[in-house]
Amino acid sequence: MKKFKNKGKDSTARRRQRVEVSMELRKAKKDEQILKRRSISFSLVDESLSPEDKKEIIQLSLEEIVEAVNGSDRELQLQAVQDIRRMLSKQNDPPINQVIELGIIPRLVEFLGHDDDPFLQFEAAWALTNIASGTSDHTRAVVEAGAIPPFISLLSSPHMHISEQSVWALGNIAGDGPTYRDALINCSVIPPLLALVSPVTPVNNLLCLNSSSSLGVGFLRNITWTISNLCRNKNPYPPLDAVKKMLPVLLYLLENDDKDIISDSCWAFSYLTDSTNDRIQIVVDTGILPRLVELMGSPEMMIMTPALRAVGNIVTGTDEQTQAAIDAGVLAALPRLLRHPKQAIQKEAAWTLSNIAAGPSQQIQQLITCGLLPPLVELLDKGDFKAQKEAVWVVANLTTGGTVEQVVELVQSGVLKPLLNLLLVKDSKTLLIILDTITNLFKAAKKLGVTDRLCLLVEELGGLEKMEALLTHENNIVYEAALIIMEKYFCFE
Amino acid sequence: LLFLQRVLLLVASDVDALCACKILQALFQCDHVQYTLVPVSGWQELETAFLEHKDQFKYFVLINCGANVDLLEILQPEEDAVFFICDSHRPINVVNVYNDTQIKLLVKQDDDLDVPAYDDIFRDEEDEEENSENESDGSEPSEKRRRFEEDVIERTMKRRERREWEARRQEILFDYEQYEYHGTSSAMVMFDLAWIMSKDLNDMLWWAIVGLTDQWVQDKITQMKYVTDIGTLQRHVSRHNHRNEDEEHSLSIDCMRIAFEYDLRLALYQHWSLYESLCNTSYTSASLKLWSVQGQKRLQEFLADMGLPLKQVKQKFNSMDISLKENLREMIEESANKFGMKDLRVQTFSIHFGFKNKFSASDIVYATASLMENIEKEGPETTNFIKALDSLSRGNLDKLHQGLDLAKKQLRAIQQTVASCICTNLVISQGPFLYCSLMEGTPDVKLFSKPVSLCLLSKYLLKSFVCSTKNKRCKLLPLVMAAPMDVEQGTVIMVGIPPETESSDKKNFFGRAFEKAAESTNSRTLHNHFDMSIIELKTEDRSKFLDALISLLS
Repeated sequence: MKKFKNKGKDSTARRRQRVEVSMELRKAKKDEQILKRRSISFSLVDESLSPEDKKEIIQLSLEEIVEAVNGSDRELQLQAVQDIRRMLSKQNDPPINQVIELGIIPRLVEFLGHDDDPFLQFEAAWALTNIASGTSDHTRAVVEAGAIPPFISLLSSPHMHISEQSVWALGNIAGDGPTYRDALINCSVIPPLLALVSPVTPVNNLLCLNSSSSLGVGFLRNITWTISNLCRNKNPYPPLDAVKKMLPVLLYLLENDDKDIISDSCWAFSYLTDSTNDRIQIVVDTGILPRLVELMGSPEMMIMTPALRAVGNIVTGTDEQTQAAIDAGVLAALPRLLRHPKQAIQKEAAWTLSNIAAGPSQQIQQLITCGLLPPLVELLDKGDFKAQKEAVWVVANLTTGGTVEQVVELVQSGVLKPLLNLLLVKDSKTLLIILDTITNLFKAAKKLGVTDRLCLLVEELGGLEKMEALLTHENNIVYEAALIIMEKYFCFE
Repeated sequence: LLFLQRVLLLVASDVDALCACKILQALFQCDHVQYTLVPVSGWQELETAFLEHKDQFKYFVLINCGANVDLLEILQPEEDAVFFICDSHRPINVVNVYNDTQIKLLVKQDDDLDVPAYDDIFRDEEDEEENSENESDGSEPSEKRRRFEEDVIERTMKRRERREWEARRQEILFDYEQYEYHGTSSAMVMFDLAWIMSKDLNDMLWWAIVGLTDQWVQDKITQMKYVTDIGTLQRHVSRHNHRNEDEEHSLSIDCMRIAFEYDLRLALYQHWSLYESLCNTSYTSASLKLWSVQGQKRLQEFLADMGLPLKQVKQKFNSMDISLKENLREMIEESANKFGMKDLRVQTFSIHFGFKNKFSASDIVYATASLMENIEKEGPETTNFIKALDSLSRGNLDKLHQGLDLAKKQLRAIQQTVASCICTNLVISQGPFLYCSLMEGTPDVKLFSKPVSLCLLSKYLLKSFVCSTKNKRCKLLPLVMAAPMDVEQGTVIMVGIPPETESSDKKNFFGRAFEKAAESTNSRTLHNHFDMSIIELKTEDRSKFLDALISLLS
C-alpha cells in the first residue's frame, strides 16, 4: 500500500518551486547584481528543464553546503543558506537533525550579524526559526549557539521582513518553556518587541505590501503570538515586572479587528490569570474584564474559548475578583455557553459557574436573578458526563453557601430529578458530592419543617431506589454516605 | 499469525464464516494459541462483544464481518488493539485498507479490489491542519511554529483545488461503495493461509470447499468466480487425496476422502427421494413451473421421459435400485436437456466418511445453515451457532443428520411459499424493482425472519418469478422482499437482491439505497446486518420508506 502514498506528489512540488522562483525574482529586483545572476539561472531552469534536472542544478550537496557556509564566497554562502532554509521549510519531515549535525548553526547565528547583507540575514533567520520550531533539543541547539542576542538586535532591523522573522524565531524560543522564556526576558526582549507594536505596524507583513508574498500570517499576528508565549507557562510564572510591561500592549491588541490577534491576546490573558490571586488582581486592575466578557459572546470559537477560560480563571480568585467579573456581565454571557453545542465549552462554562456559586449568598442571588438555574438544570439533565460533573459542583456549592430561600428556589427549578438520576453514575467522587448535596437539601428542608415533603419527592423521583442500590456499592465511603441519609430521613433499618 | 496472548475470535453467522473458523481453530490448536470464540450475528452484537472483551484482549480476529465499515470509528478501540479481518464482504472500507497499524486484512492476493488510490481519498494531516487553520476550533495555539513556503495566492488556489478534490473524492467513493458484492470465500482464504504455512490438512480443505459452496448456494458470487475457485480447490484435492485412490479397499471407518464430481444440481437428493428433491430444488422447480398444474404435468412427463418408475423415484434415494442408480446422472441430464434444463450438472466435491457416508458439499451447506437458523429455541442464543459449528466436524454425524432434516423442512417451506406468492400474485412491480411482502400468519413465516433463509427465499422466488412472468421488463428487475421480524416490536426484516440474469455480476446496490431512503424519510431502520442489503424496519415506516426507495431508484 505504501506505493499509493507517493503518487501524485509531483505536480504540487513543481508548483511550489515555480511560485518560489517568481518570488525570488521579485525580491531580487532590489539588488541589481543578484538579479542578473539569478534571473539567468532561474529562467533557464524554468523554461527548459524538468523539476528533477532543476533540483540537480540548484541544490548543492550537503558537503558543498558545509563548505560554502564555512567558506568566504558570499554568493555561495547565500545559496547554501537558502538551500538549507528550503529543506527546513518543506511540509514533511524537515531534516532538522541532519542540519544540526552538519555543525553549521554557529555559522548561521554569525550570519544574523551581517547587517551589510540583509538577504543572508533573512535566510539565516528563517532557517534558525525552523530549527527552533522543533523539539526542545532543537531549540537548545539554536540558543546555545548564542542566537538570542542577535535575534533581539534584529527586532530593530530596518528591514521589516527580517524584524518579523526574528519575532517568529524568538516566539519559538519563548514557547520552549519557562527557562528560555525567562532567558529572553533577562536579555531585554520586551522593550524592542513592544516597540514594534504601534499603529504603523502593518497587520500584513511587508512582503505583502509588494503585492503577493510568501506569508499568510501577519506581522502583528506574529508579535501577538510571541508576546503570548512570553506570558505562557508556570513553574515559575513569568517575572512580574515583565508582565506589567506587556499588559498595556495586550490590552491594546485585544481591541484589534483581526480574529487571530484577538485570539492570541485572549490566550495570553488566560495564561496570566491561570495563577495566584495577586497576579489575577494585576490583570483585573487593567479593567480588561468587560472586554473579555464581551469576547465570551464571540461567534468565533478561537476567540470565545480563550476568553471564557480567562474569565473562568478570574472567578477562581477572591470574592472581590469574582464580583468584578459579575459586574462585567459574566452571568449574562454564561447561559448561551452552557447550551453550546461543543461539550468542552459546556464543561468550561459550568466550571466557571461552579466557582461563582461557591461565593457568598449575594453572588448566588445574582446567579439566580440572572436566570442561570434553567440552563443549569438542562445541563445536569442532558449534558455530556464531564459537563454534568461540573454542573453537580454548581448545585453542591449552591446548597452549601446559599440561603434556605435560595435552596428552595433551586429545588423549584427542577434540579432534583436530573440530580437523582445521576446517582446511577459509576464515578465515586461524583456520587459523594451528590449525596452531600442531598444532605444539604434535607438540612434546608428541616429548617422549613418540610422534611416529609422532600422525602416524598425524592422517593417519587426514584431517588430512594437509587440510594438503596448504592448500599451495595463497592466504595465504602459511598455506601456509608448513602446509609446515613437512608437511616436519618427514610427510617431505614 | 503467531500470538503469545489470548485472541478474541469474532465470527459471523454464515456457513462460510463457520468453515473459516474451523480452519483457524485447527491452526490455533496446532500452534497452541489460546482463543475465545464469540459468535456475532450483526453489528450490535459485534460492538457489545467488543466492549465486553476489549480489556482482556489485544488481538481480535473477525471472520466475515468488519471489512466493509470503518471499524476503528465504530469500535473506538485502544491504540494497541490489533484487528485481523478475514471477510468476504466487498467493498472493503477504504480506511481499513489504508490503516496498516491496527487493521490487518486477510485478502487473497489476486482478488481484484479496485480500491481508490490513497491520494485520491486521503490528504496528509499537515495539509489538513494547514487548511483548518482558518476555521480554528478554539484549541490552544501551538508553542512553536515552523515557517513553510507558503503563499497567499497559493493558499486560495489550494482551497479551490481542495474543493475540487473533495468533489472528486465523493465521486470516487460513491463509485467504489455503490455496489455490495462478495470476494473470495473466507474459508478459502483461511485455507490458503494454512497451506502457505504448510499446515493444511484434508479436513481444512473440506471446510474450504464447503465455504465456497456456501457462496454458490447463497448466490453470492458469479458462476465464473465459482468455477475458477473450484479449479483452485481441485488442485488441492488431488494433492491431498490421490494416494488414497489406490488403496480404496483399505479405507478404514474413520477415514475421509474428498472427490471432485460433476454432480446433479438437485438439493439433498442423496438423502431424500429424487422426487422430493426435484420438487424442492429451485432450479428444477422454477424451470418446470411446478407451482402450476401444467408444471406438475411437465414433471410427470419429465420422469416418464427418463423412464424411471414413479415408485422408485418417490422412494428414499438410498433404497433405489442399484441398477437404476448406475446411469442415473446421465439419464437425468439427457432428459433435462429436452426440458430446457441445460445446467443441471454442476462441478462440486463430495466427501466419503469410511464406506457408508457420502455427502455432497451442498448437503453440508444446507444442513449447517438450517442448524444455524433453527427457529426452535433450544437454549441460549449461541446454541444454534455452536451446533452448526459442531456439525462441520466429521465426528458429529448425528448433528449433521439433524441439520439435513431441518434443511428439508426449510426447502419445502421455501418452495411452498414461492408457489403461493406466485399463484396469488404477491410479487408486484414497483417500477424500479419488484416487491413482495410476506404477511403475518403466512405458514412458516417465522422461518423467514432469519436473514439467510429470507435471502434464499428471495432468490428462489425471483428465479421462479422470472420464469413465470411474460413481462420482459420485469424479468430484469431486482427484488425487495419483506417479512415480519418481531411482531411485538412491530418490525419487519427487508432484503434487496440483484436481478436474476444469466450474466449477473451479483453486485447489489440496495445497501446504499436503503441507507439513503432511510435517511431521507427519517424511517426507523436498523442496519444491523453485515450484509448492508438486509435491514430491519418499523412496520409503520414501511410505506414511506418504500416510496423514497422508488423515487430514489427511478
